[in-house]
Amino acid sequence: MSDFKIGLREQNSVHILELKGYLDAHTAPKLEEALQNLLGSSRYNIVVNCKDLSYISSAGLGVFMAFIEDVRKHSGDIKLTNMSPKVYNVFDLLGFPLLYEIFKEEQDAITRFFDKSKNPSSTLQ
Amino acid sequence: MIKLRRFFYIGGAFLLLLIKFTIDVISKNVVLETGGVSLLRELSVIGAFLLLYLAFSTAMGRREHAPVRRLGVLLIVTYGVLIASIGFGLTSVAGFDRKNFSLLPLDYPTLFLASVSSVMLGLFSVLAIRLLRDLVLFQRRKGTQRNFLLLGVAIAATGASVLMLRPLQDSAATTIFFIIAVILAIINAFRLPWIVYLTKREKVYTLVYSLLLFFAYTALNVMLAREGSLREALLYYSYPLTEVATLTAIFGNIYAGMAFVSTLFHLPTAEAFDRKRSEVTSLHNLGRLITQVFDFNELVDTVTAMTLQVCEAKSCWLELVRGDQPSGAAGSVVPSSVRVVAMKHIAPAEIEQLHQAEGESLRDEVIRRRTPLVIDDILREPRFLHLKKAKSSIASIVVMPLVSHNALVGILYATKDTSYGFLKDDVDVISAFADQATVAIENSRLINESIERERLIREMMLAQEMQRKLLPQSVPVYATLEIAAVSTPAFEVGGDYYDFVALDDGRLGIVVGDVSGKGVPAAFYMSEVKGIFQSLSRMYPSPRDFLVRANEVLMGTVDRHSFISLLFAILDVRTGGLTIARAGHCPMLLVSAEKVSYIRPGGMGLGLSGDALFAKSLQEQNVELREGDVCVFYTDGITEARCGEDEFGYDRLLECTRGAKHLTADGIKEEVLSSVRRFVEERANEDDITLVVLKWHGDRGRELNA
Repeated sequence: MSDFKIGLREQNSVHILELKGYLDAHTAPKLEEALQNLLGSSRYNIVVNCKDLSYISSAGLGVFMAFIEDVRKHSGDIKLTNMSPKVYNVFDLLGFPLLYEIFKEEQDAITRFFDKSKNPSSTLQ
Repeated sequence: MIKLRRFFYIGGAFLLLLIKFTIDVISKNVVLETGGVSLLRELSVIGAFLLLYLAFSTAMGRREHAPVRRLGVLLIVTYGVLIASIGFGLTSVAGFDRKNFSLLPLDYPTLFLASVSSVMLGLFSVLAIRLLRDLVLFQRRKGTQRNFLLLGVAIAATGASVLMLRPLQDSAATTIFFIIAVILAIINAFRLPWIVYLTKREKVYTLVYSLLLFFAYTALNVMLAREGSLREALLYYSYPLTEVATLTAIFGNIYAGMAFVSTLFHLPTAEAFDRKRSEVTSLHNLGRLITQVFDFNELVDTVTAMTLQVCEAKSCWLELVRGDQPSGAAGSVVPSSVRVVAMKHIAPAEIEQLHQAEGESLRDEVIRRRTPLVIDDILREPRFLHLKKAKSSIASIVVMPLVSHNALVGILYATKDTSYGFLKDDVDVISAFADQATVAIENSRLINESIERERLIREMMLAQEMQRKLLPQSVPVYATLEIAAVSTPAFEVGGDYYDFVALDDGRLGIVVGDVSGKGVPAAFYMSEVKGIFQSLSRMYPSPRDFLVRANEVLMGTVDRHSFISLLFAILDVRTGGLTIARAGHCPMLLVSAEKVSYIRPGGMGLGLSGDALFAKSLQEQNVELREGDVCVFYTDGITEARCGEDEFGYDRLLECTRGAKHLTADGIKEEVLSSVRRFVEERANEDDITLVVLKWHGDRGRELNA
């Protein structure tokens, strides 16, 4: 129903997905495809920037769940950044902050990838 | 009745002929003056043959005999008469004496023989007119009947004009009438429309019959025209009959000749005519077939059978292209999606053999090109060399794509065992035929699809009914509290769930949950959650313990990108003590006298993480309910109900409930629902909506009830 767009950037071999608009059951396949493409070409360091994401439904959250296991198996990660309070609330209700690293700023997430020595690869234990 | 009438006709005719014969015998040696006896003699003859004509007419009745059969009958009779006439001519009798323009038989055998041959010729003339009449009047138009009637009148006039004459006399009037009759005979002989509609086979028969008939009639006419014994016998017997018989024979002669010539000209086009006619019939039949599309197998069988018929092919088969991808890209239809649905006079092995070409097969080519293919001599094409080795009976082939709305529906094949077997005409007609078949097949498919859709709708209705039964049919009733609950799926079935369980120690368990996603998959998980809740909630009476255990169970079944949020509350219905644990679900709204707040203990959704992380995240929170407190449990269908960019949200839910807190639980429920409905401007809800409202009355409620 509503528009949903994905932008893809790369910085220091970290791939940044920029989500824009409404992520729900209708648009979730787009994100699924984008993540599938990254995994297909063995890119496992992924940052999802949610700056312009105005809504996320449970189906949208499901997309991250579908890929995280694979990504972490290849010692990569999906990190989330720049969420609006409303979007954060949805993640928070479901307990996603326990499963994913969520940052205020995109740059923090990127540097975190090269900071592994200080911190174990993920908070998920 | 008809039989009786016919009996009278024949009997009357016989009687009249007997009278005539008697007169002849008595006056054997007398030249009759044109007087009473003579007139009686002629009138008996005319009367007799008129009656016989009527008798023939009733015998033939209204039965429609095929023209060729009529011709055949006439042919046999004509040859019979001809042979008999020759026989009579060879019989040695004394003959006639000519005296005073009259003929007198020299002995009784002459008289007898003359009578018999004349009656025979008379009968023959009557029969011939009767048989030819129906041919002439075939597909009659206004003038047709008139012309034939005029011919009859002219023949009758010729006969009448000699009524008062002696056999050897002549008159100018007779000659004029005779010529007019011959002209009319020629005009009537052009009436041959029946030939056009004969099949080729019938035309060949007609050609032979009419030629033989022409010869027979010519011979007969020669005998009638010559001053021989036959003519003398006839003249002696009856002058009018002679004229009528002669003119009838002339008409028969001309008609047979015309029929021969006309058939000869029609013969070269006979095959084309046959084919056109069978094309028209087949297309007509297929047109009717379009309405009979319920039996798909019958339909495709008829399509192949008719293709054979329209182009006289040796074998024919129909392949349907499955999966309606509009194969825009070259060869995007995979071969496995094409299957043979009907075949005639060919084995599946032969079809497979044809498709195993060296290089591109005909099937692939027609899928790629989407245009009809005509291979005139298949054995000359290098890619089909293997067919030669296999001694295939296919020499030429037409491959016709069935295209509907730019999508390839099927492929129709027709083969012949002669090279260059298909003319342009054949290809055109198969093409026209293929168009009709496409429509019929598409219709059939659409009907079957709509039947299938109907079935699915019925299944979904059933599923909806089943799911409704998974939800509580009524709310529990206690003196100290009121409960109201509602759940509406966005589609037929949904993933929302709420339930109650009365625990043994007098406490009440309340659960509200939401499965990620919507529709059928969500509904399956929802029913699983119901099973887990009903079985585990009694064994693990602490909300936290229950959710930890439920998560363990669900981790094994829920697929990776699905999860379930649950809110589980246990209320002590005696004291109002409420314990809540929340597994990723929307927080509970609590509206009490002094404040309004969301109760949100920590906890992640079920099915997200199977390890200790889930248990670690999960907290319990306790609330002591006071009189008049309202608890609202709900799913995100309420808070995320959308109107454009805006969501109903937590604040609106809170405000709306606070405003309605003085109402009954049911009243509060209705107020929230209608407020959501107003917010989305009466649009159908996009998500499943569930709402459970609990109003605590405590001791006051008990007093009221007491």
